[in-house]
Amino acid sequence: MLALLCTNLVVCNVQRFKKTYKLTFGLKPPRENSHIPQKINTTISGDNAEALQQKTEKTLKKKGFYITQTEEGGQWRFIAQKRALGNWGSFITHIAFVILLLGALIGSLAGFKGYLLTGQGSVVSLQEITVHKGQVKENLAVKINSVEDRILPSRERDNWYTDLSILESGQEVLRDTISVNHPLTYKGITFYQFTYIPGAAFTIEMNGEKHPVTLQIGGGNYYIVPGTSLYLVLAAIDSEAQPPVVLYQVFDHFQEVKRGKLALGQSDNIQDIYTITFDEPAPFTGLHVKADPGVGVVWLGCGLLMLGLLLTFYWRPVRIAGILDTDGEPVLTIGAYSGKYKMGMKEEFDQIVAELRD
Amino acid sequence: MGETLQNWELLSFYIMMGAYLASTVLYWLWMAVKKDLISNLAALAAIIGLTANTAAIVLRWIVLQRPPLTNGYEFILVFCWGIVISYILVRFRYRIEALGSFVMPVPFLLLGFIVLKMGPAERAAGFLQPALKSQWLTIHVLSAMLAYGAFAVALGLGIMYLLKARSTESMAKGGKETWISRFPQESALDELAYKLVGFGFPMLTLCIVTGAIWANYAWGSYWSWDPKETWSLITWFIYAAYLHARLMYGWKGKRAAWMAILGFAAVLFTFFGVNYLIAGLHSYA
Repeated sequence: MLALLCTNLVVCNVQRFKKTYKLTFGLKPPRENSHIPQKINTTISGDNAEALQQKTEKTLKKKGFYITQTEEGGQWRFIAQKRALGNWGSFITHIAFVILLLGALIGSLAGFKGYLLTGQGSVVSLQEITVHKGQVKENLAVKINSVEDRILPSRERDNWYTDLSILESGQEVLRDTISVNHPLTYKGITFYQFTYIPGAAFTIEMNGEKHPVTLQIGGGNYYIVPGTSLYLVLAAIDSEAQPPVVLYQVFDHFQEVKRGKLALGQSDNIQDIYTITFDEPAPFTGLHVKADPGVGVVWLGCGLLMLGLLLTFYWRPVRIAGILDTDGEPVLTIGAYSGKYKMGMKEEFDQIVAELRD
Repeated sequence: MGETLQNWELLSFYIMMGAYLASTVLYWLWMAVKKDLISNLAALAAIIGLTANTAAIVLRWIVLQRPPLTNGYEFILVFCWGIVISYILVRFRYRIEALGSFVMPVPFLLLGFIVLKMGPAERAAGFLQPALKSQWLTIHVLSAMLAYGAFAVALGLGIMYLLKARSTESMAKGGKETWISRFPQESALDELAYKLVGFGFPMLTLCIVTGAIWANYAWGSYWSWDPKETWSLITWFIYAAYLHARLMYGWKGKRAAWMAILGFAAVLFTFFGVNYLIAGLHSYA
C-alpha cells in the first residue's frame, strides 16, 4: 500500500514539476484579451498610456510583484507574480511525504529497537537485551553506575536519572547521566530513560555459600533457591526510612509460607533452609535502546512537509495579467488568476485596482 | 496567595461558562428576531467569555508556574480558547454574525462536560510526570488547539452551508424566505471554510510533527501507533482528503461541508474518545 502511495506521489510530482516550473520561471504575458483571467477582471481607462503603464508597474512592484512584460503591436502586455515560491508548496509537500516514508523504511530495515530493565551496578551486553525490532550488531555493553528517582522538595518527581557507562571491549568509552527527555547517543545507538523501579540487594546464604540477589518490588522478578520450590519476592521497600526497610515474601507453589520485614543489614532465616540479608536499596532502571539510521531522513521529511504546507497555505502566489491598448484611448484590461481561492484573491485584486484608479 | 488565585481562576471559569452560554442563546435569539443589537450583545458575551477564558488560563499558569497544558481540564480550557479566538477573528474580519449560532455552542458544551463529568480531583493541578517535562509540550499542544479552533469554525461554516443550500433549493421551488436566507452566499461560506481548514491543517501537521520529535526524545520512538497518534493521523488524513478533493477534483459545496463536519467529529474523538475510551501513552491527556 505504502509503496503504491509513494509511486503515486512520485508520478504525480513528475507530472506536476513541469507545470510548477513554468508557473515560477516561465510565465508569459497574455497575447490577447481572451487570455486574461475572466473571473476576476476589470478594465481601467486613462488619459495617457505611458502614465497608466508606469503607474501599473509602480503599483505592482510596490506590492512585491515581479513583472514580465512585452510591447508589441501597440499593446503593453504583462504578467506579474508575487510569492512565486508558493507554487512549489504542493510539490514539496508530496516529496516530503515520500522522504518521510523512506526514512521510516530505512529505520525499520537497518535499525533495531529493544529495552533493558536492570539493577544498579549491573553490566548488560547489548546482545542480551530484549529486542522487539531488528537485530543488534554492535558489540557494546552498558554499565549502570547509579539510578536515582529524584524528588523535589515540593514532593514532585523531578525525573528518573541513570548514570551509565558505555563499554566497548570492556573499556569505558563514554559516561553520562540520562533522564526522561534527555537521551544519550553513542555511535548511532541511543539510550532513553524509560522507567524506574525500586529494588533491593540481598545476600542469600545456604550451605555456607553466599549468593548476591537483586529484586524489584511488586514481584517484577523473583529468586528461586536452587533445589527447592521456594521463591523469594520483594513486596515493598521504604528507601527514605532511616535505616531503609524492606518487606519480603516467600512462596511455595503460590502459597505464601513466610513474610517478613528487614532493616538495612538485618538477616532472617527462611524455613531453616537459607538466610536472607538485606544489603542495600538497589533500584532498577528501564532503558529503551534504539538505533535508527532513518530518523534524520524522517526529520528532513517532516521539515519539508511543514515547509510545503506553509508555502501552500500561507504563501499563496498571486498572479495578475493585463494588456494595455496604447492605440487610441488607453484601456488597461487586467485580471487575476483566482485558483481555488477566489474570495481572498478578489480582495487583493480590488486593492490594486483601487490604487490604479486613484 | 495560591488559594486566592485558585478562587479567581474558579470565578473566571464560571464567568467564561456563563458568557459562552449567553453568547449562544443571544445568537439563537438574534436569528429569530433579527435585531443587530442582540447580535452585538452576543459578540460582546463571546469577548467577555474569551477574556475570562484567558484569565483562567493565565491564573492557572501563575499558580502552577508552568503552562497549564497537562490534563484533560487544562486541555479543554485551551481548546475553548482556540475555538473562540478563531471564531472572533472570523466574526470581525468577515462579518458573519450567524456563525456564532453554530460555533459558540461548542465551547459551552465542552465546559459543560467539565462540570458534569470531571470531579475536583480531575480538575486539580497535579505534578508533571517526567515525560511531560519538555519544551515541546507547549508548541505541541498550542498548535493542536489552534488547529482544532480553526476546524471548529469550519464545522460551523459547513453546517451553515448545508442549511443555506437547502434553503436556496427550497426557495427555488417556491418556498418562503426564512432566517437562513440571511446567511452569506454559499460560495463565501464554502471558501471561508476552505480557508480555515487551510490554516488549521498545517497547524495539525505541526502538532503531529512536534509530537513525533518529542516522543522520540521521551520514549525513543517517533511513532508508536498509540491511539491518540493514530486518531490524530486519521483526522489529518480526513482534512488532507478534504484539501485534495477540493484541489484535484473540485469538491466544493455540500461534499466539502460534510467533510468539514466529519473532520471535526474525528477531532472530537481524538480529543475525548481516545482519552476516555481507549488507554494509551496519552492517557493523561
